[in-house]
Amino acid sequence: MPPDYVGKVVIDNLPLLLEGFWITIWLSILSSLISLVLGTVIGVARIVPFRPLRSFGTVYVEFFRNTPLLIQLFFFYHGLPRAGITFSAFESALWSLAIYHAAYVAEAVRAGIQSIHRGQMEAARSLGFSYLATMRYIILPQAFAIVIPPLGNLFIALLKNTSLASTIAVAELLYQGEVLDSRTFRTFEIFTAVGILYLCLTLPLGGFVNLVERRLARAGRGA
Amino acid sequence: MGNWAVFGDTRTWIFLGNGLLVTMQVALAAIILSMVFGVLLALARLARFPLIHYPAVAYIEGIRALPVFLLIIYVFFASARLGAQLPVEWAVVLALTVYTSAVNAEIVRAGVLSIEKGQVEAARSLGLTYTQMMRYVVLPQALQRMIPPLVSQFITLLKDTSLGTVIGLLELLRRGEIIYRGTYQGRVNNNPIESLLVVSIIYFILCYSLSGLSLRLERKLAVG
Repeated sequence: MPPDYVGKVVIDNLPLLLEGFWITIWLSILSSLISLVLGTVIGVARIVPFRPLRSFGTVYVEFFRNTPLLIQLFFFYHGLPRAGITFSAFESALWSLAIYHAAYVAEAVRAGIQSIHRGQMEAARSLGFSYLATMRYIILPQAFAIVIPPLGNLFIALLKNTSLASTIAVAELLYQGEVLDSRTFRTFEIFTAVGILYLCLTLPLGGFVNLVERRLARAGRGA
Repeated sequence: MGNWAVFGDTRTWIFLGNGLLVTMQVALAAIILSMVFGVLLALARLARFPLIHYPAVAYIEGIRALPVFLLIIYVFFASARLGAQLPVEWAVVLALTVYTSAVNAEIVRAGVLSIEKGQVEAARSLGLTYTQMMRYVVLPQALQRMIPPLVSQFITLLKDTSLGTVIGLLELLRRGEIIYRGTYQGRVNNNPIESLLVVSIIYFILCYSLSGLSLRLERKLAVG
């Protein structure tokens, strides 16, 4: 039997790794969409002129930013079934990722909103816009342009954090790597390949975020 | 309401307290090591000499783009395959150091680049060497600007020590898991909600006081 060349194990099992790769992408997209919506609502809640909502927003953001994601994942997967609410492994990962990153999205959105000049809010209100209408049509569209780079970085962070889903046996990229490793014992090749697959996603995304950031900085100077 | 009985037992708190100690030791070791390597990497990236500059760029950009959890798994399994199984504490410290050094390097670099060029020119024209200029002029000022992002990175690191749970590091979360899964002290608690809540409150207090410390430190340095 001829000796295997380096990387053969990866080539042979590429379909399995790619299966995990797609689940990683899918999980990232879905949970980032949820966290975007949830985070925007909480970010707005943190600055509305209504104290109970503001307090709720602050507690949410501080709690989730100061506790590990893995706890939330275990909470969904081990904890909630005890209360009669059962999520599949994928759903547990989806929701815990969304809820955790929503706290960071909220902070980014809040910073974006607060960077919009106060005069805009005052002008819209004096034109007869309600508070919510002002947010919806005047403030948020402008804030989102400013917030795109930090949101992009958050998406990358979320994508990397989907690897935690392997701990509850979601068949994403790292999980498939671990399966292959236990089957073949070719640790270096397999996890290096897994790393390269993550880089295939995160490096282009990071480059794109940098590009947008520079464009926006230039546009900001021009204005 | 709920199954809290196990938390009425002092032994449970000693058990968790020892886990907290492991969490803090691992985090502290990784923080110190990643600061040292972070500064070195930042200086390497700032250097003009291509054989120093480009490897530093590759390391920083490559490592930052990887999941820290992959690094933990990699270090743990790879060291086992090499027949030099690292103790789990050191596997976690090593992986967190590898990752956080790259992040810290970027924070340090941004801090250094935020110092106006005039200061560098002034220091050089006063006859300071590059090392002296970095040591006495640039780094002390840059440090103040680096504190908020560094502390938030340390909080991330502290939270990431919980990933050690997966490879059997007996830190805080792992011990919480032991309490709610299977038998603990001869009884079955099966109380994941209660246990995870207790553990997350301990993490919260730890991380939240760290961010408070950052504010105080900033103010202190701003005066000095």
